[in-house]
Amino acid sequence: MDFETLSADLRSLQDRALKEISAAADPEALEQLQIQYLGKKGELTGVLRGIGALPAEDRPRVGAVANVIGEAVKGALASRVSELHSVVQARRLAAEKVDVTMPGRPIARGTLHPIPETIEAIVSVFGQFGFVVYEGPEVENDLTNFQMLNIAPDHPARDLWDTLYVDIPGHLLRTHTSPGQIRVMETEKPPIRALLPGRCCRYEAVDASHGFEFFQVEGLMVDEGTSLADLKGLLDEFAHALFGPRKTRFRPGYYPFTEPSVAFDVECVVCGGIGCPACSKSGWMTILGAGMVHPVVLQYGGIDPEKYQGFAFGMGVERIANLRHSVPDLRYYLENDLRFLEQFR
Amino acid sequence: MRVPLSWLRDYVDIQQTPEQLAERLTLLGMEVKGIDRWGAAWQKVVVGEILTVADHPRADRLHLTTINIGEGEPLHIVCGASNIAPGQRVPVALPGAVLPGDRRIERTEKMGIASEGMLCSGDELNITSDAEGILILPSDTKLGVQLSDLYGDVVLDVDVKPNRGDALCLMGLAREVAAATGAAIRWPEITIEEAGESVESLLRVDVREPGLCPRFVGRWVGGAKIGPSPDWVQMRLQAAGMRPVSNVVDASNYVMLELGKPTHTFNGAAVQGRTIVVRLAQPGERLETLDHVERQLTPDTLIIADTSGPIGIAGVMGGAHSEITDDTTEIAIESAVFDAVSVRRTGHRYALRSEASLRFEKGQETRLARIGADRVAQLTQAWSGGTIAVGRIDTAPVEPEPTRLTFRPVRVGMLLGAPIATSEQRELLSRVGIETESAPAGSRIQVAVEPRPLVVDAGTDEVLTAIVPTWRRDLSIEADITEEVARIRGYETTPAHLPDTLMPAYRHPPTKARNAMRETLAGAGLTEVVTHALIDPADEAKLEWPDDDGLSMAEPVAGRTINVTNPLSAQHSILRRHLAASLVDVLALNERQGRESVAIFEIGKGYGRSGDLATEWNRLGILLAGDATPHSWTQPARPFDIYDAKGVVELLCRRLGLPEPSYSPDDRGYPFHPGRALTAQARSDKESLGGRIAELHPDVLEKWDLRVQRVIVAELSISGLASGDLDRVRVEPMPRFPEVDRDLAIIVDEARPAAEVAESIGRHGGSLLRRVALFDLYRGAPLAASEKSLAYRLVFGADDRTLTESEIDGAMAQVRAGVEADIGARIRS
Repeated sequence: MDFETLSADLRSLQDRALKEISAAADPEALEQLQIQYLGKKGELTGVLRGIGALPAEDRPRVGAVANVIGEAVKGALASRVSELHSVVQARRLAAEKVDVTMPGRPIARGTLHPIPETIEAIVSVFGQFGFVVYEGPEVENDLTNFQMLNIAPDHPARDLWDTLYVDIPGHLLRTHTSPGQIRVMETEKPPIRALLPGRCCRYEAVDASHGFEFFQVEGLMVDEGTSLADLKGLLDEFAHALFGPRKTRFRPGYYPFTEPSVAFDVECVVCGGIGCPACSKSGWMTILGAGMVHPVVLQYGGIDPEKYQGFAFGMGVERIANLRHSVPDLRYYLENDLRFLEQFR
Repeated sequence: MRVPLSWLRDYVDIQQTPEQLAERLTLLGMEVKGIDRWGAAWQKVVVGEILTVADHPRADRLHLTTINIGEGEPLHIVCGASNIAPGQRVPVALPGAVLPGDRRIERTEKMGIASEGMLCSGDELNITSDAEGILILPSDTKLGVQLSDLYGDVVLDVDVKPNRGDALCLMGLAREVAAATGAAIRWPEITIEEAGESVESLLRVDVREPGLCPRFVGRWVGGAKIGPSPDWVQMRLQAAGMRPVSNVVDASNYVMLELGKPTHTFNGAAVQGRTIVVRLAQPGERLETLDHVERQLTPDTLIIADTSGPIGIAGVMGGAHSEITDDTTEIAIESAVFDAVSVRRTGHRYALRSEASLRFEKGQETRLARIGADRVAQLTQAWSGGTIAVGRIDTAPVEPEPTRLTFRPVRVGMLLGAPIATSEQRELLSRVGIETESAPAGSRIQVAVEPRPLVVDAGTDEVLTAIVPTWRRDLSIEADITEEVARIRGYETTPAHLPDTLMPAYRHPPTKARNAMRETLAGAGLTEVVTHALIDPADEAKLEWPDDDGLSMAEPVAGRTINVTNPLSAQHSILRRHLAASLVDVLALNERQGRESVAIFEIGKGYGRSGDLATEWNRLGILLAGDATPHSWTQPARPFDIYDAKGVVELLCRRLGLPEPSYSPDDRGYPFHPGRALTAQARSDKESLGGRIAELHPDVLEKWDLRVQRVIVAELSISGLASGDLDRVRVEPMPRFPEVDRDLAIIVDEARPAAEVAESIGRHGGSLLRRVALFDLYRGAPLAASEKSLAYRLVFGADDRTLTESEIDGAMAQVRAGVEADIGARIRS
């Protein structure tokens, strides 16, 4: 064995190794090649074993060649490993391809009922102006529901509130949220800014625009000098918040517990004021009733009408919801057909 | 109230279009609800002249006529009426015409003879009540004119508020029009030609209840001839929505619509003893009213009687016996003022409300009793002939002066939010007939009247006295004057600004916790419902949801069921105590719509009475039925079971800061599945939750005719539902030392509740055990058939150190020993 032969062997080993490495198809084959060429019992080691047969002066030269070849094989293995990794990964990813056009995994989400949601919408507007929420009983007494609101037992205006009575003497199902005015005034002193949402009942046959159970939100503000102009300012903000910028107006109304009494109209949300069947061609839609709290009512609430003035308003929640969501029939609300409710996403 | 504009023009000039007038009235507080085109129902009905009338050759009752409609060849029309004659002008419905009730007129053949249209009766046109004869028009009526051009009218539908009884008539609305437009009012000319006997010799009036009948004015018309009113009167009444009856009755109704004064006309000959007594009914007295209903009169009913008994219910309805009939000649006219409350109560008592009683209920101007009697007498004579007897009977001839009401102009401005000059206020008030004069400083001001009167000293403020017209019975306090100023000035002039006064103190919205729960539940896939508080007692009886025995609830169920005493229907006649039945109803409704899966919740109230006290409590109701996860390409369907409901409740507990609820089985059976019902309770310092979670008994599903196999219902009392605020989150420091998991499989008897095993683990886990969670349930080999294996993950940790293996091993050994001792469980290794 001489230096030249050994070098030639080493070079052909390198050629073969590099060829085989570049031909290796998977990481397992590379591992085999690593063992085959570089392992303890590998070919390179085998070739180097023959080094002892060389003259001493040739040995370092062969060692140097062997090192270069060893490094070359190692380098080839490493680069082939990374090459093969991408190939393998690409193959895996290709195999993992899914039909991304299939629909997503369904996640159940319920919807919230438009009545409480509308109440929340109303409350949040007035909340910005310092109004706080109170709640009164639904089984009310006649005194608070009527008499303390300046509606005597034989008042002709009682026809405005057809009443459902219960088998507790002197009690009824509140016909409006207005008795809450008395209840708030009894516990709070001015300045008062109160909202009273809740369920009300009337003796009323059911049709598309009437129900015997419905919801109202009452508002009450009492302070020194609180005026109709304050009410107008607030209601304008309210209308803009819920229905967008549109014209509003006050016109005279009638309630025994306010004096003066007004109705608050908003430019028709359907036709924008031109006149259409929805607004009876008037161009206006009545949103709520309101007025300055009657001195009799203030006194029943323990408030001196000479010192304090206040306004109250009351609105039908269904009415507001109808206009906001184009609901054609009041019966939808308490019927709870999911085909209706699920539209309130 | 229906207001024909042609009639209203008798009393006030109107320059505006109907739409403009409607707008003005609405802005003045007389809301116009609709504008009705009277006569719009007549199409192709024209005025024609009868040229010839001949007998029909084959039918006795029919006539052959030729009609000139002013153009073209005369029309040949077959007519069945007997009041026709050549030269008359009549309404002719041409072929293609449409009459009220959508009746279409075509060219026809009647008994073999062609008819090119129809001659119309007043009834067919809905213009008079005469159905027998053809409507004969005035002889100078222009031929060929469309009837709608001739008699068409615009009728405003005005919503007169209950406090404005004075405006429930044409005269009253004419005053409002005048206030709006500045036009002058024209009163009808009321002139009486009296003759013959004096009324006192013909009629005696004895008012025994002057408190309930403060004024009674009587007049008498003798020798009248009953018949139909003139056509123009009938047309006006029809347009105003009132059915013409006869000339005398129409006169009374006409005056009611014209002046707002209800009157009554009796057949004078039927008034026994020629005496009218106004008194309370006596026990046992009966009266057949004009609607031909025999009524038993109660002793608190104010009646009109003669010497033999009742002849009318005062202010509400007359009696049939003294009704004006075709052969009546003597007319007794009653024009009285009755107590508003008495009339209202009487109307309610007999469930009898009339146009008259509606007006009496709102109060009557005293003066109108006299004017109304005169006007009815005048029109009765004009339309039915006869003689008006001399004089009138009047039980209270002194008419009250206008009331005087002091007010402070500065207060008017204060209430409205902008000062209004005194001179402007005076001018505005004068437009509705309220004259004003200066009052001395320091005058007394009526701030409020009954039931809480308040009179104050005006101090240094300027004071005016308003002289309130007698018809304005609604004006009694200072704020009333404010309203008059505001409405005549126009509310559109109200300035708008935001309040700049102090805000009230902060207060938690009572809905805060409720809304957190609603959002959480919706996020968990449940849809919110809002159902009726009024339910069918049968529903509650059908379900038998238990009252909350043994549960400590934030707001316990209290007392007995509250019943509605005047329900609209049995379906809504009690106040519910539980939400459960309502939720099952919602499920049933949606099943009928083809829905197979329903997951809903409601936050609502229950109601009960204890003695004379009403109690209300808040509840969360949950109902799950059908599939928890619908079948999709990713997963098979899985039906709801009680563990879904428990999962929802546990989620809520986490949201509310409550500990994991404790559960105990409820095996009562109906309405629950005896093996699938439980009570749940959780409590923290501030919050509590308690209630039931159950699969409903199959019999319940059957009673509701449900298709679905299983229904899970929960009803919970949660403190936050009523109280509002949510407990604040307090953060625990994150563990500085790692926690260690150990799993433990425990074999127990099938019947052993898992909760007991978990509780036992907790009891023996020592201070290092932080959490225990069940993660697997196994049945089958190598276990015995009666056994199950529960696998728990135990998490250990300490705040001050990393635990050593031996510490954890020690704790686990204690747990194993403890569980084995407690429940005789075997530990699977």
